[in-house]
Amino acid sequence: MKFSDETLMAYADDELDPPTRAAVEAAMAADPELARRVARHKELRNQLRSAFDKVLDEPVPDRLIATARTAPADRRADNVIPLRRKSAPRWSWPQLGSIAASLVVGAILGQLLLRASITGPIIARDGQLLASGALAHALSNQLASDQAQQAPVRLGVSFRSKSGEYCRTFLLRAPSALAGVACRGREEWRVQVLAQSGQAAADGGQYRPAGSALPRLVLQAVDEQIAGEPLDASGEAAARSRDWRH
Amino acid sequence: MPAPIEELREQLVGLLPRLRRFARAIARNRHDADDLVQIAIERALARSGQLRPDSRLSSWMFGIVRNAWIDEARSRGQRDRIFAPAELGENIGDPAHETQSDMLAVQEAMARLPEEQRITVGLVLVEGVSYKEAAEIMNVPIGTVTSRLARAREALQALLADTTGALR
Repeated sequence: MKFSDETLMAYADDELDPPTRAAVEAAMAADPELARRVARHKELRNQLRSAFDKVLDEPVPDRLIATARTAPADRRADNVIPLRRKSAPRWSWPQLGSIAASLVVGAILGQLLLRASITGPIIARDGQLLASGALAHALSNQLASDQAQQAPVRLGVSFRSKSGEYCRTFLLRAPSALAGVACRGREEWRVQVLAQSGQAAADGGQYRPAGSALPRLVLQAVDEQIAGEPLDASGEAAARSRDWRH
Repeated sequence: MPAPIEELREQLVGLLPRLRRFARAIARNRHDADDLVQIAIERALARSGQLRPDSRLSSWMFGIVRNAWIDEARSRGQRDRIFAPAELGENIGDPAHETQSDMLAVQEAMARLPEEQRITVGLVLVEGVSYKEAAEIMNVPIGTVTSRLARAREALQALLADTTGALR
């Protein structure tokens, strides 16, 4: 088989799919000239890499560090900060999130429904996800401003959505480590967003500010749905006394 | 708890060594490269609201460095030619001259590549970015990445064979 130089290059860069890769390797074993061409590609790569790697050893000029620490930033990047309140629970609010919600929810949901017993925290009914058991209880009763350190469900912020419902963010402790947003329906809490939280969803190398307990997906959902400011402690207590109905 | 923007700033500080390396691969000397990084950091912070959290910060930054370079390069073509030889002078009497010389040879060769080929080499061969990611950063199809890379490699191999051949 004959291979183009681009294919050999892609082989040297480890960019080929396994079958093509195997075919190149077989051809290289049979043809020393082919092997030499691949070796030249690899050598060039190493040469460039080692030449420029020296830059990594240089001290970074102070002016660059100063620029990174002090140059003016887009104010929108701080949009989410007002969500943190004085009495806020220990959630952190990284920047705006945007992942395809359905993908994440779909991936987790399969797992969850397999595991869920009838008393699980989330049930599916009529094509909707509803809070159940301990989660439903916490959503109705637990105040974010007053919750036990080891409570199985941790509430984050409560807010009025643009459609006028009360919604709350929650975090289920390990092992499920799921976080989401639930909104109050007539009788039930509808789970609108559900995502794996914290370590469980750590995606190596991806940009994710350290220490964010709530997945971006959840933060983004809050950001999209919230009307005005999140409830403060007294607003939360007042909403609870009306059973989260308006 | 630091605000998100403060976290971003610290992540940028952590990324500076790589940004400098990438900039050195595409600009022609240290001074221009660091200027380029500075411009890119300023732009990134000014547009931090546009950072999509599902994208890699490094990729986002490489894209900003690349765009800044292209913008700057348009207005500074002349200056490059004046400053390029300065790097050679920097190394006279430098005890690290031996270890610098291969970097110089590589930089000289890189400087002869067309802009987009040099950026592609900087991304894929220097920074180890995948073809797919490089295509996204440069906003071109993958086929363009591979063809630029193939042409750049051919040119670099020829140029470096000359230099190393002459030195040995």
